[in-house]
Amino acid sequence: MRLISVKGASSEVIESAVLKKRDLKAFLDKLSISYDVYFPVKRNNHRFLRKYTGSADDIIIGEVRPVEPIKAFFTPARERVVEGFLQDVPGSHRKPLAIFGVKACDLQGMKVQDHVFKNHGFKDPFFIRNREQNLIIGADCTCAIDTCFCLALGVQPYPTADFDLNMSTLEDSFLIEAGSDKGRALLEECASLFTQATDHDNEARDAQRAEVIKAVEKNIQTYDIPRHDRFQGIIERNYNSEIWEDEAKNCVECGGCTQICPTCHCFLLYDQKDDMQMRRLRVWDSCLLKGYARVAGGGNPRKKLWMRLRNRFDKKFDFFPKVAKVYACTGCGRCISVCPAKIDIRRVLRRLVNHA
Amino acid sequence: MPETAPNLYRPMRAEVLEVITETTTIKTIRFKPEKPISFQTGQFIELTIPGVGEAPFTPSSRPAIADVLEVSVMRVGKVTEKVHQLHKGDTIGVRGPFGNGYPIEEFKGREVLVLGGGCGFAPLRSLMYSFFDLSGQFKQLYFRGGCKTPSDFLYRTEIESWAQRPDLNLELTVDKGDETWPGHVGLVTLILDSVKMDFANGVAVVCGPPIMMKFGTRKVLEMGFREENIFLSMEKNMSCGVGKCGHCRLGTYYPCKDGPVFRYNLIKNSPEIWD
Repeated sequence: MRLISVKGASSEVIESAVLKKRDLKAFLDKLSISYDVYFPVKRNNHRFLRKYTGSADDIIIGEVRPVEPIKAFFTPARERVVEGFLQDVPGSHRKPLAIFGVKACDLQGMKVQDHVFKNHGFKDPFFIRNREQNLIIGADCTCAIDTCFCLALGVQPYPTADFDLNMSTLEDSFLIEAGSDKGRALLEECASLFTQATDHDNEARDAQRAEVIKAVEKNIQTYDIPRHDRFQGIIERNYNSEIWEDEAKNCVECGGCTQICPTCHCFLLYDQKDDMQMRRLRVWDSCLLKGYARVAGGGNPRKKLWMRLRNRFDKKFDFFPKVAKVYACTGCGRCISVCPAKIDIRRVLRRLVNHA
Repeated sequence: MPETAPNLYRPMRAEVLEVITETTTIKTIRFKPEKPISFQTGQFIELTIPGVGEAPFTPSSRPAIADVLEVSVMRVGKVTEKVHQLHKGDTIGVRGPFGNGYPIEEFKGREVLVLGGGCGFAPLRSLMYSFFDLSGQFKQLYFRGGCKTPSDFLYRTEIESWAQRPDLNLELTVDKGDETWPGHVGLVTLILDSVKMDFANGVAVVCGPPIMMKFGTRKVLEMGFREENIFLSMEKNMSCGVGKCGHCRLGTYYPCKDGPVFRYNLIKNSPEIWD
């Protein structure tokens, strides 16, 4: 065990350790006492998060992000926010979550979610309840799929912040790094499961990170994806461009791109139709849908589908950088995979950047 | 919840005290919330019909009265249809107030032009009550209002009675008159020539349907009002009321928390301002 002394701390603090792959289950068992544990698994070439119920044979810590973004844990697609005129916030009492295998693109997405629901203006009690006390266990990507372009957004393919622990997959072990006091305490608490990280482990991790960076860079070259330092003003400059109408030609207004996006946060307050009782749900909404901005009497600032497609990019590449100093895109590539009309954010960005 | 933020999505219970038929499409609901709601003129509330849904309205009542509020509601959709079916004694829900109202303190000592159209009379009635409560503290008040026809005129008797007030210069118009209508006929932007004031230092409040707001704003700019002295009440699809749900976004603002009352200079470059 490598002990690194932290200046000012009263005792020595463990910053990193090695967990043998064969001991992972013991670690999961330990965590599942206090947490509902979720981890990524692979089915038909896609990755999903599933709840740990005693078997972890199919766990995939590395690889790339799962199909669903982790926002779904904190603002679920459908959540009850009002039950009658009761004072209490309704909701099931569950254990806090320990989510394994969280990728850097999803952590970046949470920056936007946190800005909206937690760090800016009214603090959303449901989001805060769902978000706090959880354990975020990040993981390095160990490969890139062809829709990955995080580096174009300045996001590395491995977590650099906003995690409690981070796992780098090595040959027969994981190199674990602490990113918070909670993570450090956990390394201490489970010390018997860990061994000390060696220089060789660190080198192996660095070599793997370099490999994945190379793979993402190759995607950026292959698809000619512009980098974020060229995004400034692309929306204002192209507001009246023909690009929007052209890109929206095949859009079927399914809203898939917004549902699957780790940064999209819009919701609808929906009152269940019931004569006896008031029950209000918060459900994910999509700015691509026709009624999204419609006001009473039928007025609609975005009557045409291309205006709504433009709005999606406006929000991501103009609104959020202005109000929160962050592009609301993480380069995860989910919207590329989900779109039945093949609207490809990489192509749209390229057109916006290159358009005079 | 260790950090207990209030659940602002939960409405407070309120009792309907009276339902007043104003026009064929507009009713005013007087209601008493469980706890008083102190609001600033121009702020809005979300009104819930339990089991149906909620919709945003700007109170049309006097802000000095917090225990009984009024909203005037045009029947245009699912929620407002149910609002029109309310009776005395019914239970409704109410959230708010949300957003920013008119900075009335800033208007003191100045000449104020209020330009209103149609439904815009609802928030403007509340604004006029605020002015009347502070009577004498404004240099001069002008009210110019217009509606489609005399039968569409919200609070017609009351507004006509304001003509007697020495502190107010009032003129009204309708697009299409009838035998009951003694006033002007034509658009509200055409009855502004009689407003004689120091435009460069005056305040203009414009509130009404989008098309009237667009041409009304254009007109007051021509008259010489400064952009930062023109106050617009923006109608967007406000839902959550706290800048989270995304629906009402206008440029870098959420009218539900940054508005609905805006100075024109702040939003003049938003491409969707009049849509």
